Amino acid sequence: MSMWGRTLQFLPKQNQREGLLPWVIGVMLFLCALSLTSALALGRGLERWSAGLTSNLSVQIVVDDPMVRKAQTEDALRLLRATPGVAEASVMADADVIALLSPWLGEIPTDTGLPLPTLIEVKLTAPDAVNIKGLGERLMATASGARLDDHQAWMTQILNLAAVVRLLLAGIVVMVVLCTVAIVIFGCRAGLATHRESIEIMHLMGAEDRTISQAFDERYLAHGLKGGLFGVLMAGLTLYILIRLADDMGQGLIQASLPAASSLAWLALLPVLSGVVTMLTARITVRRALLDLM
Amino acid sequence: MITFENVGMRYGMGTEVLRDISFSLDRGSFHFLTGPSGAGKTTLLKLLYLAHRPSRGLVNFFGRDLATLERGALPRLRRRIGVVFQDFRLFDHLTAFENVALPLRIQGAKKAQVADHVEELLSWVGLEDRMHARPATLSGGEKQRVAIARAVINKPDLLVADEPTGNVDPDMSRRLMHLFVELNKIGTTTVVATHDEDLVRMIGAPIMRLDKGELNMIAGGTPLDPEAAA
Ligand SMILES: Nc1ncnc2c1ncn2[C@@H]1O[C@H](COP(=O)(O)OP(=O)(O)O)[C@@H](O)[C@H]1O
Ligand SMILES: [Mg+2]
Repeated sequence: MSMWGRTLQFLPKQNQREGLLPWVIGVMLFLCALSLTSALALGRGLERWSAGLTSNLSVQIVVDDPMVRKAQTEDALRLLRATPGVAEASVMADADVIALLSPWLGEIPTDTGLPLPTLIEVKLTAPDAVNIKGLGERLMATASGARLDDHQAWMTQILNLAAVVRLLLAGIVVMVVLCTVAIVIFGCRAGLATHRESIEIMHLMGAEDRTISQAFDERYLAHGLKGGLFGVLMAGLTLYILIRLADDMGQGLIQASLPAASSLAWLALLPVLSGVVTMLTARITVRRALLDLM
Repeated sequence: MITFENVGMRYGMGTEVLRDISFSLDRGSFHFLTGPSGAGKTTLLKLLYLAHRPSRGLVNFFGRDLATLERGALPRLRRRIGVVFQDFRLFDHLTAFENVALPLRIQGAKKAQVADHVEELLSWVGLEDRMHARPATLSGGEKQRVAIARAVINKPDLLVADEPTGNVDPDMSRRLMHLFVELNKIGTTTVVATHDEDLVRMIGAPIMRLDKGELNMIAGGTPLDPEAAA
């Protein structure tokens, strides 16, 4: 880039204040990329989790006589398995039922002969694959002791909480993105302030506004791309390391809330966006400064 | 060629720095612009090199009324005006050669087309050995000669210089003045602001004298320095 290139580059290659700009942009894009990916992954995780919740039902067979209970359980299972939208229906093992009850009843030995309720776990193919009310009525008709529980009461609260958390995440993402844009704009302006003198001299020598702002377009596009690339590469590297670590550790919270490596391709767009935002900011600022001159 | 009629100029909401300025500059004329510091010399020159619009009055450049000119027409007009700024205003990261070539580049010229011309002009101002030096390594007189070369590389119709001898020793002042006189002889209308009375007497050109924002035209005297006669 020299003054004899395609664009008349009259700006010095090195400028102390401007030299910081790509780094500032880089750090902001690093933070932006990380918060975007984690918010998206967390949001998706929450969505998957709540979908999992709503597609689980349980059926309790409340009959005292063990023989009748067994017969009704068979009937209920048959009906459930024949119902479209039900992916799976199975009787919960006694040990699991005890584990489920222990918070209320304390430790109970398995062989007390105490009547345990029979629980059928039902998995739906999708959260709303089945008309819950209709299914409950048909179950009662087939097996009088069958009680369908769709966990509505407590699930509504959890789903509301999940919705609030997702809204919060979206808000954080919007703030981080706006903040990044604002900092890029302020950084550009600070850099441009050091060039006021050069702009004025070029203007007084008869340079067209376009000629002058082209030099800045070129320079600031490069700043924005450079900073954006740096930030996104660092974010990508950070995420990659985290994903690898989580893979090594196996299942767990970290792994569950990390995005899949393949879903990160859109990150490549961020440097381009930062380049364009930087360039447009420079162009607008320069054109405005020029209009202040005669 | 250039006419001012009842021109007034104020900065922002301040009082008028220039009041009822009327004069005209004929093609090929040479004027000194004198007056005490703060009299408005720089302000008048800024009007002449199209850095400001006057607050009132009529200004005519090369037959065109400034008030009717659109902003887009001004760059072409500015290219016909060469300016030597009070504080050089060279680009520090560009060499003497590049600084001088800049006005040609602004008009879209390529390096190969202008190299000979730029080198010739730099030789003419005595800088053939300093062409590729940057301003930081040049003396005050050398910088001023680069600034003058940059101002005239376009063969401007009007040349404006703001205290071009302010930062150099008397001997260099005389040499720089000779450059202006030579340029004027080839037809460039020239206005040089200065408060150096000796230089004015030496050249003997007509004087535009500013005092507290008002202008008086004073006819030229007999040049003390015959070879510098304008
Ligand atoms: N950009 C400006 N804004 C406000 N006032 C100015 C500006 N430039 C000059 N002045 C004022 O205008 C008057 C004339 O200044 P100037 O034209 O620089 O005089 P000179 O060049 O003769 O010393 C001074 O009083 C100065 O303070
Ligand atoms: Mg002045």
